[in-house]
Amino acid sequence: MQDTVKTWLTEGTVDIFLGYKMVEGHPIPHGFSRNCLDEIDEMVTGPARYSLEKFATQLLQIHPEAKIGILARDCTQRALNVLTIWQQISPGQIKTLQVNCCPSPLGSNTDCSYLQPAETGTYKAAHGVDGSQSLQTLEQMPEEERFDRWMYEFQKCIKCYGCRNVCPMCFCRECSLENKDLVGNGHLPPDIPIFHLVRAVHMAGRCIDCGLCEEACPAEIPLRMLYRKINDMMGTLFDYHTGSSPDQSPFSLLGDKPSSGLPPMTAELSKNK
Amino acid sequence: MECKFVPSVCSYCGTGCGILFQVVDGRLIGTLPMKTHPVNQGKLCIKGWNLHEHINSELRLKNPLIKTFGRFSRVNWDTAIRYTADRLQKIIKKHGPDSVGVLVSAKATNEENYLAQKFARAVIGTNNVDHCARL
Amino acid sequence: MTNSYDDLEGAGCIFVIGSNTTACHPLIARRIYKAKERGAKLIVADPRGIQLSHMANVSVNHRMGSDVALLNGMMHVICKNGWQAADYINSRTENAEALFAVLDAYTPERVQAITGVKAGDIELMAETYAQNSPAALLYAMGITQHTTGVDNVKSCCNLAMLCGNVGVAGGGVNPLRGQNNVQGACDMGGLPNVFTGYQPVSDADANAKFSEAWGRPLPDKPGLTISDMVPAMLDGKIKALYVIGENPKLSDPDWNHFNHALNNLELLVAQDLFLSETAQVADVVFPAASVAEKNGTFTNSERRCARINKAIEPVGNALADWRIISRLATAMDYPMNYGSAGEIFEEMRALTPKSYAGMTYERLGINGLQWPCPDTEHPGTPYLHSEQFARGKGKFHAIEYQDPAEMPDADYPYFLTTGRVFAHYHTGTMTRVSKHLDHEAPFGYVDINPLDARNIKVGEGDPVVLSSRRGEMEVAVRLNEKLPPGSLFLPIHFGESAANLLTSSEALDPLAKIPEFKVSAVQVCRAS
Repeated sequence: MQDTVKTWLTEGTVDIFLGYKMVEGHPIPHGFSRNCLDEIDEMVTGPARYSLEKFATQLLQIHPEAKIGILARDCTQRALNVLTIWQQISPGQIKTLQVNCCPSPLGSNTDCSYLQPAETGTYKAAHGVDGSQSLQTLEQMPEEERFDRWMYEFQKCIKCYGCRNVCPMCFCRECSLENKDLVGNGHLPPDIPIFHLVRAVHMAGRCIDCGLCEEACPAEIPLRMLYRKINDMMGTLFDYHTGSSPDQSPFSLLGDKPSSGLPPMTAELSKNK
Repeated sequence: MECKFVPSVCSYCGTGCGILFQVVDGRLIGTLPMKTHPVNQGKLCIKGWNLHEHINSELRLKNPLIKTFGRFSRVNWDTAIRYTADRLQKIIKKHGPDSVGVLVSAKATNEENYLAQKFARAVIGTNNVDHCARL
Repeated sequence: MTNSYDDLEGAGCIFVIGSNTTACHPLIARRIYKAKERGAKLIVADPRGIQLSHMANVSVNHRMGSDVALLNGMMHVICKNGWQAADYINSRTENAEALFAVLDAYTPERVQAITGVKAGDIELMAETYAQNSPAALLYAMGITQHTTGVDNVKSCCNLAMLCGNVGVAGGGVNPLRGQNNVQGACDMGGLPNVFTGYQPVSDADANAKFSEAWGRPLPDKPGLTISDMVPAMLDGKIKALYVIGENPKLSDPDWNHFNHALNNLELLVAQDLFLSETAQVADVVFPAASVAEKNGTFTNSERRCARINKAIEPVGNALADWRIISRLATAMDYPMNYGSAGEIFEEMRALTPKSYAGMTYERLGINGLQWPCPDTEHPGTPYLHSEQFARGKGKFHAIEYQDPAEMPDADYPYFLTTGRVFAHYHTGTMTRVSKHLDHEAPFGYVDINPLDARNIKVGEGDPVVLSSRRGEMEVAVRLNEKLPPGSLFLPIHFGESAANLLTSSEALDPLAKIPEFKVSAVQVCRAS
């Protein structure tokens, strides 16, 4: 792995390589560059995971022409696919060095060591949403109970915005979570359940089920479960599988012709005029 | 092109969360929670996530200032230090060391607090040293 | 904190009093969540309804300033039912009889009359705390910022010792520190009576040691606290003030009073990141480097000393505080030639044998070490007083309840308390310039119960005039049904609606000199 990265950097395949190095016992993300090739010997793959693809997107905003190498897990690849679709990166601008690990239904591998769900405590099991359960198990509960359990989870929110800040898919310049007409400002917990539902809705066609949001949540809200539901709906309703390829865009979902009998949107608009 | 992540500690409340400063080309562009830190275990609050914003603020003081006739003017360090030292020395000479008070900072580092109380006690010669822990 | 954050997760019960933890120490609130979800019981006592109240097994809103009565009431119930830790009390503590004698009178019914908390809830709090050991007690400024601040803290300690919770994992008395390095500033001798590691300036040996190390005879009479400096400034006894990284103009209890004091100075020197309210009235302002622009260490609430590392160059000509102090000392004929923060740390730890001596930058690493750490082999100390108390035996203090300095009356019929909001910090100099934090709370406001708002005929966002015996101000209303009627809450972060226009500099704890920010009597009426 180190040799590949060295070769990429010396041959100019990439200008910078985003990976990890150990600093005083902690894996810290780092941009390895041609100027400090020796550092690459300290490069490691784990045992923590940061949003490298987000760092790559941020670097490209500063250096639009840069060629970036990146240590990529399955979820990273899905993220890059979606970022390509949403035109945040150009195909070929980011070169991946694959490290396989993924427990997501969206991924092909199942050896991810990062997302061992914590043991669910008795109180959480009785009142909250157990993130280690499957979506199907949760959905077998009566609707009212599910609602109460989600409300319990949401009322713990301390509005850190960590779910958004860490998300590789949150690249919007203006965020709906900070639109006062949608989500009130200045309150803890934030408007329940609007804050989380606004975010969930915006995850449609975006969420690549990497689980970084849940890892970043101080209140341990099972966000991954929430967004999995969104992905599930995307799959069922539209046969859209977020992140599965860099070609399938949500804009082409409806095909050439709208098929559900709805009048074309343009007609609707002209009528309003 | 430089992209590095520097481990540090959040300087807002007293919890002491481990953070990473995200630095690109010598500029601070973000703050992240350190995943493996024993205090915050990879999570932060809204203040921690935005720690870099105050550091990058346009309102940061960039030069020493001396007020003359009610208006501040920019001066260099040598001037500011000399001016302050002279005025402190005159006050100490005339009114004694206990006519000076030093407020150290619950936001500065241990090293700086150590030095500030040393300054008060050894340089000025007073124990009038306190900070805003009560406030 | 006597204990550690990790410890909280192992508690059988967590009792939070006077701390809005989710807003002010969110990552400690996370540990409370985790303990609660694992099955620990949670008790929350706060004059306001706070976010944690919703998760609590027992949640009460006691009247502002009635903490001693509430805690005595809990202890009364514990003793009456024989739930106290008798063996622990016998072997590890002293003076319990004096406490018991006082507790007799604090029946749940009498405590209900003082605190407004139902007798049944007091009994439930007592049972929950006593029957779910180990129990951790957490508090913040809601306990300390009172004229009875020391009494409140001692009462917390009484309760914890009564149930054998001090010196055990998962228990303890845990004050949450409000600023990143309050703990360190105290440890480093940033106090008028002690050198580093709480070595008294009046102790002949300690004084001789520091005098020798620093090459000058040092004063051995304790100096003035900030609360005492203000009158000394007014009397003309203090002529110059050097303020490093603080904004007392907004954090001091009485704006007008403090302003007069500042005007009386011959020289005010301010050292800050920003032109704070205090720096604006200074004669000299030194631009300081921020946390990302220097090396050093901070010591957090759990006594963990950890390193900060320079990430970028200081902006403009700003300098790290230690460099500024060194230059000023050198210019005043006391050369300080430190090449790095690490050199200062080495000097400090050599003079601080019991707590910091065993720490080196290399040993601290990223995780840091918790003091006491007396030698370089010592692993640090997750919780204090494990085998015996620092003073030998834990001493109970018999404490009677006293009213706050100011109670509502016909002229000023409302209780006012002050505090932080989740997106801001202290006097706002750092957070109000931050875009995302400003979004959450761009302006000051006063929280008021909708019933009170209706009585004075105001709605959300309307301006009201708040007045106390010290001053008055206009501020916008925010309706908050979680605040009991008759009570108001004013955030402390906003210079344009500064809480210290209303609070008092005379209502101080006699021992700790801490002002009673948490209780004032005020009047509120619609702005004309």
